[in-house]
Amino acid sequence: MKGLAPLMVAASVAGLSAAEIQVPFEKYQLKNGMRVILSQDNAVPVVAIYVIYGVGARSEEKGRSGFAHLFEHMMFQGSANAPKGMHFKTVESNGGSLNGSTHPDFTDYFEVLPSNKLAVGLWLEADRMRSLAITEENLQNQKDAVKEERRLTFDNRPYNTAIVDRWPELAFRNWQNSHSLIGSYEDLEAATVEDVANFFRTYYAPNNAVLAVVGDISIPEAKKWIDTYFADIEPQPQPKHPDMAEPPLDGPRSAVVKDPLARVPGVIIGYPGPKRRSEDFYALIMADVALTAGDSSRFQQNLVKGKKAVIQYQADLGWPFASPNDYIDPGFYSMFLLHLPNVPAREIVAQVNEEIARLANDGISDAEIGRLRTFLKAARLTEIQTSLGRAKLLGQYELFDGDPSLIAKELEALLKVTPDQLQAAAAKYLTPERQIVMEVVPAPPARPSGE
Amino acid sequence: MLRTILTVSLLSTVMMAQPIDRTKPPETPALPAFKLPPLHEFTLTNGLPVVLIEDTRLPMVTLRLAFQAGSKYDPAGHPGLSEAVSRLLTEGTASRPARELAEEITGLGGAISASSNADHLMVAASGLSENLDKLVELTADIVRNANFPKDEVELYQQNRKQELQAQRAQAAYLASEKFNEVVFGQHPYARRSPTPESIDATSTETLAAFRDKHLMPNNAVLVLLGNLPPRAQVRKMLETRFGDWKKGTAPKLTASAPPKPKRSITVVNRPGSVQADIQMGRLGLTRTQDGYFPLVVGNTILGGGASSRLFNDIREKRGFAYSVGSGHAALAEAGVFRSVMQVRNEVVEPAIEAMTEHLAAMGKERVSADELSNVKNYLSGTFVMSLETQAGMAGQVVSTKALGLPNSYLETYTTRIRATEPDQIQAIARQVMSPESISIVVVGDAKSILPAVEKFGEVDVSEARD
Repeated sequence: MKGLAPLMVAASVAGLSAAEIQVPFEKYQLKNGMRVILSQDNAVPVVAIYVIYGVGARSEEKGRSGFAHLFEHMMFQGSANAPKGMHFKTVESNGGSLNGSTHPDFTDYFEVLPSNKLAVGLWLEADRMRSLAITEENLQNQKDAVKEERRLTFDNRPYNTAIVDRWPELAFRNWQNSHSLIGSYEDLEAATVEDVANFFRTYYAPNNAVLAVVGDISIPEAKKWIDTYFADIEPQPQPKHPDMAEPPLDGPRSAVVKDPLARVPGVIIGYPGPKRRSEDFYALIMADVALTAGDSSRFQQNLVKGKKAVIQYQADLGWPFASPNDYIDPGFYSMFLLHLPNVPAREIVAQVNEEIARLANDGISDAEIGRLRTFLKAARLTEIQTSLGRAKLLGQYELFDGDPSLIAKELEALLKVTPDQLQAAAAKYLTPERQIVMEVVPAPPARPSGE
Repeated sequence: MLRTILTVSLLSTVMMAQPIDRTKPPETPALPAFKLPPLHEFTLTNGLPVVLIEDTRLPMVTLRLAFQAGSKYDPAGHPGLSEAVSRLLTEGTASRPARELAEEITGLGGAISASSNADHLMVAASGLSENLDKLVELTADIVRNANFPKDEVELYQQNRKQELQAQRAQAAYLASEKFNEVVFGQHPYARRSPTPESIDATSTETLAAFRDKHLMPNNAVLVLLGNLPPRAQVRKMLETRFGDWKKGTAPKLTASAPPKPKRSITVVNRPGSVQADIQMGRLGLTRTQDGYFPLVVGNTILGGGASSRLFNDIREKRGFAYSVGSGHAALAEAGVFRSVMQVRNEVVEPAIEAMTEHLAAMGKERVSADELSNVKNYLSGTFVMSLETQAGMAGQVVSTKALGLPNSYLETYTTRIRATEPDQIQAIARQVMSPESISIVVVGDAKSILPAVEKFGEVDVSEARD
């Protein structure tokens, strides 16, 4: 078989003995351009099949918001040899589980199966990559399902409209980044079968996909099945990347959103983030860990417990849809804080600013950064416990960075961040001048609007 | 190289020589059998039972310490006390202020948290294996010496009230709350969360009294799993950290049995709701009652997962609900079966009707051979998958032990699932899924949905509490 020479790599983590933590993998490419990563680990009789496509909500065109997610639904509607309903039934009746999900910059699908059922999962994934059933009936059916999903899980839950629809509009200026990931009812309704077929041809081509197969496998056997099912799926011209460039931030921005479903007020605070894989990228992740990760973090100790006005919070590079694993610039470091109704949002912002300023001005002790490093090691170990966890990381690092060995090397880079670098990143990125703030205010009970 | 934790008989040389027909799924062998890793058990001198499981895949350890101290032991008049103890257990001990404790735990690459369910109060800890001794020391300090500082109690009171308000704003929460009240009556399972009044009544003293009454070594079980030192060394370590913790007399649960299931219909009025949250169910079985495994299999055929009858009919075919399914929870004192759906106001009547038909059908007809074999595979496969992580394995073992089940329960789980016969499923469904004994709870806008619900019988209407 033609393609790139197979590359044997064993990723290991500095600071932990290599014998203790290793994610060995083999990477190669089929002649149709599909990238394959195999990682064998026979400890538990389970295998994860993970297919990640280089398409997400940010690939959508104007007038077609929500299309990537609508399409993800279409992927479960049947293909030439696996008619509607067969995908779910086949996976579950073979003792497995499955799902798919849509993100700003990728869409992914997985099956986790008892390991001797590997071939069945590969057959299903290949059949829909080759021959998805794109029919008027399936499309209408899934438009309805997505609208129902939107109505029940977005429009009827507190904070979701603010987070999913309003926040990106405030944070970004380029439509490519600012439009709703779930899409509008009008755009969903406007999608045609031809749109769906074009989308499939362009983005669901083997050359725009990475397949990771991880767990209790035999590498030669897995290769044979992959070759049998995937090798002759036709490649397509490489899709163009959308222009996601943002104009430079021209000062702080803010907005207030009323939420009839919320009972507790919240505030979202965000800052434009660094370039992926730059030195600042790693330093800002460490700053985030210092500020917000775990019970001993500064926010937990000084805000939730100290000032007692913040009730709980989330924060991440890439929040709300991404994490550092799949953060792609332009993007934001953002946080969402719920707070007491009798404390105004501007006071919460002031408390956050004070905490960040303390980090930016006074830095961090060796003892504290030492704790954070141990915390990160443990977090990565926990993430790679399952075959699916390893498959996701290997697949995403291949898609975004062309380098699955980041599964170990990323941690290495994070552990190398110095107190000075961490402090400098906080001072450079997390300033009031770069701050975007959205208040989410509980509105007096009103009838929630239906369709 | 990673070492094997679950031993398998892999029959994996799969027909590579045969010509490939891509129009059909490939033939694969039956699911592999599996064997649990050995459980090493002993009891400390003070009566604390211990289970050790070796898992050398990663340099991590996971600990679970379960007490017979769940919400069913909440004093009458103080619902949510067990939950409050669990939330405040990690917020400071006699010798370690909360902040110091949190920093020490993070420094171990670890996490220690506590939670409370209907039956048990559970401490969960994990960390890098090199820090095992410290992790055990901190866990011991927390369960023995948590001192519930006044400022932490006040913070709990302030924030738990906000959380309760947010929970009560959700229809699904209201539905579960009412359903438990209807099904369990005066039994303590009826109420598991605090009220604004019980939050106010929580104090350092009430928390410490609950701790002293329930958290004792002979009322607990400890499971330790991971990359462990030699067993004799672990035992010595545990004796050092826990050994001088005094035995006590734990109170036994004094509760009358839950009421006999009978048909009832309740609407909780939530003005303005555009959808109705519907729960239909009744008492089920404990894990040791006859018919438990057939009930698990039958419930999965009915409403577990994306291949189930409810999913395919009520969601996919009729489009009544985006979210629909059924579940059975086997608690220590009783099981509870329920089917759950969220539907548009306009389809409340046909949706309840369809659900009733599905429940009745489970008792009327035998399930098909195809459904049965699919679900047996699904349950066996996902069971093995749940053991892939340390947390998953520790969770299965600790709940088996805390519920007083024999070790063979886990070992024979998939075998017993597989042994289930259609007649057994039909027999247990006739009992547990019979519409004549099912309670229906609907949360929604009474004005819009009451006429539809009343078609099914007399309705008891109550207002949503704020």
